[in-house]
Amino acid sequence: MKLSALIEILREVFDSLIANKLRSILSALGVVIGISFVILMGWALATLDLAFEKTLDIIGTDMIYVDKYDWSGGKSWKIIRQRKNITLRQAFELINRLQSAELAIPVSRKWMPNVKYKNEKFSGLITTGTTYEYALTPAGTINQGRFFSLFEDSYGMDVAVLGSKVAETMFPNDNPLGKIIKIENHNFVVIGVLDKKGVLFIDFIDNQIFIPLKSFISIYGEINRSIEIAIKSPRVEDLENVKSETIGLMREIRNLKPHQEDDFSINETEMFRSSIDNIATYIWSIGIGMTALSFIVGIIGIMNIMFVSVTERTKEIGIRKTVGAKKINILIQFIIEATLLCMIGAIVAFIICSIIIFIAAIVLQNIYPALDFVPKILPFKLFIISAVIAFIIGILAGIMPAIRAANLNPVDALRYEN
Amino acid sequence: MDKEDNKIISLHNIAKIYQMGQEKVFAIRDISLDIYKNEYVAIMGPSGSGKSTLMNLIGCLDTPTFGKYYLNNQDVSNLDDNQLAKIRNKEIGFVFQTFNLLARATALKNVELPLIYAGISHSERIERAKKALESVGLGDRMNHKPNELSGGQRQRVAIARALVNNPSIILADEPTGNLDSKTGKEIMSLLNSLWNNGHTIVLVSHEEEIAKNAQRIIKLRDGLIEKEIINPNPLAYSN
Ligand SMILES: Nc1ncnc2c1ncn2[C@@H]1O[C@H](COP(=O)(O)OP(=O)(O)OP(=O)(O)O)[C@@H](O)[C@H]1O
Ligand SMILES: [Mg+2]
Repeated sequence: MKLSALIEILREVFDSLIANKLRSILSALGVVIGISFVILMGWALATLDLAFEKTLDIIGTDMIYVDKYDWSGGKSWKIIRQRKNITLRQAFELINRLQSAELAIPVSRKWMPNVKYKNEKFSGLITTGTTYEYALTPAGTINQGRFFSLFEDSYGMDVAVLGSKVAETMFPNDNPLGKIIKIENHNFVVIGVLDKKGVLFIDFIDNQIFIPLKSFISIYGEINRSIEIAIKSPRVEDLENVKSETIGLMREIRNLKPHQEDDFSINETEMFRSSIDNIATYIWSIGIGMTALSFIVGIIGIMNIMFVSVTERTKEIGIRKTVGAKKINILIQFIIEATLLCMIGAIVAFIICSIIIFIAAIVLQNIYPALDFVPKILPFKLFIISAVIAFIIGILAGIMPAIRAANLNPVDALRYEN
Repeated sequence: MDKEDNKIISLHNIAKIYQMGQEKVFAIRDISLDIYKNEYVAIMGPSGSGKSTLMNLIGCLDTPTFGKYYLNNQDVSNLDDNQLAKIRNKEIGFVFQTFNLLARATALKNVELPLIYAGISHSERIERAKKALESVGLGDRMNHKPNELSGGQRQRVAIARALVNNPSIILADEPTGNLDSKTGKEIMSLLNSLWNNGHTIVLVSHEEEIAKNAQRIIKLRDGLIEKEIINPNPLAYSN
């Protein structure tokens, strides 16, 4: 079959679709819904990916975090609670003995501290005690002012660096720098504000107030406190090395016997992958069923309308065959017609979803500013995917009616009267 | 030139049997017939005598149950659907009583149709279809759809469509059956002029007067040739 014949078919198919507008649109509804599911699912998964990437950026793919607690949620809570705290002494022993790491920083957190500014109390915050080197980790980048210095750090001075969310809530209209805040009734001078970080899984990090570890210990004491150690490897490739050295040292420091399990966790970005995968699987398992269902409805709808179309146009098929149309010509004509119907459905779905997503992204951001990375515009990739799906559905729905049309006997078809 | 070389159609003991449930309908029982280049043949006979069935066989719309059919010396009695479609496209021009035009397409598009399936380029198609429409006197009606044309004009479009791919033979099954006698005459004089220009024409009619335009009149009855009359004075009706 030549190209000119194909172009001709396309032209005629369009005529026939336009002649049956309403009917065509209704029959494509299932496809519109199915493709919409695919697009929305694709968008949700893409958003999740972005969230994951942002999370990696903050945690750092070249970082591990030694902690009593486990991020993955894989270990049972009971076992974890029975673990002994990582004491300050143990933390510093690890930090001092570690050879392969570029950076090793102790971090300790107090959840729900008593924080005041001008007698107004703020809740939902975290006090984090750490060293000046925290500014060198991906989570410690400064937006305003500065991080505390080695000097302020080693003397345990009363200086504080605010997470972006803390700065926003405590000083909505004021410059926070130089202001005096009260942490557990101790005065601290605000000297810096961090960049905004928070995404889906670790949004707490913008709620932290950073103070020198020494000041932290003098306020909260070191009893009943477990220290986390953030460790940066010189290069991503060295991470495994750093990890095994860390585990070896920690086992030694904690006096573990060879048969005993680790009583600490090595947390890293990899652990987020499993929670991301869980959410992705969840989206898929809901989405895939609904998508499949609407595609089945869509295929049946379009197949049905195509069978009707073949019957109505029996005479036309007879005329075409009489003047020389081969089976393949008729077959392709009807398959293209079904495919085009699906393609139109896909375009409609794409337009509808674009609007939905645009609005949804804006609304989400207003409610929850950490979601500002959610894409407002659908990626072009999704357009290609929906077009391919529409194409396949069109062929599936069109093939049987098209075969029936192609196999009509020209004499009988010519004789047919509507 | 040898007469055999000029033989376009050669039917050898053709039969066409339709199975209707338990019953067999012998639409064509046993027909042998030769038609030569630039002949003008009329087929007559009462209703149900097998005229249309014979035309469909000659036009390769259908294959015979028994017998051999040679078209331009090629055996076409056992070809498959696609081969038959190709032969219809190249060798046969059909004109029907009910015109059989595509309702949604313009006159031009209708005439283009055989050329589309012949795989001819768009520009050449347009050119040839226009020429064909002009030759049947419809140069000014090309962009009209069938429902915007009179019966006679529709039949002219059908004739233009039959001509456009230069077929070996034009088959007209009751071409004037749906037309008034004046318009019928015009259509007949158009067919007569095609014959004058060298075309081969097979015409079905149950009207004596119309059949008398042909050189040779074949009378069918019950799927058999009853008699064959040579008309010494063709083209009578249109004058
Ligand atoms: N598809 C078919 N199935 C069964 N029987 C058929 C079929 N086509 C034709 N016949 C039968 O074959 C016989 C010849 O039919 P045909 O249409 O050739 O007659 P005709 O001479 O053209 O008649 P008319 O002048 O009415 O058009 C009739 O008895 C008809 O009923
Ligand atoms: Mg008939």
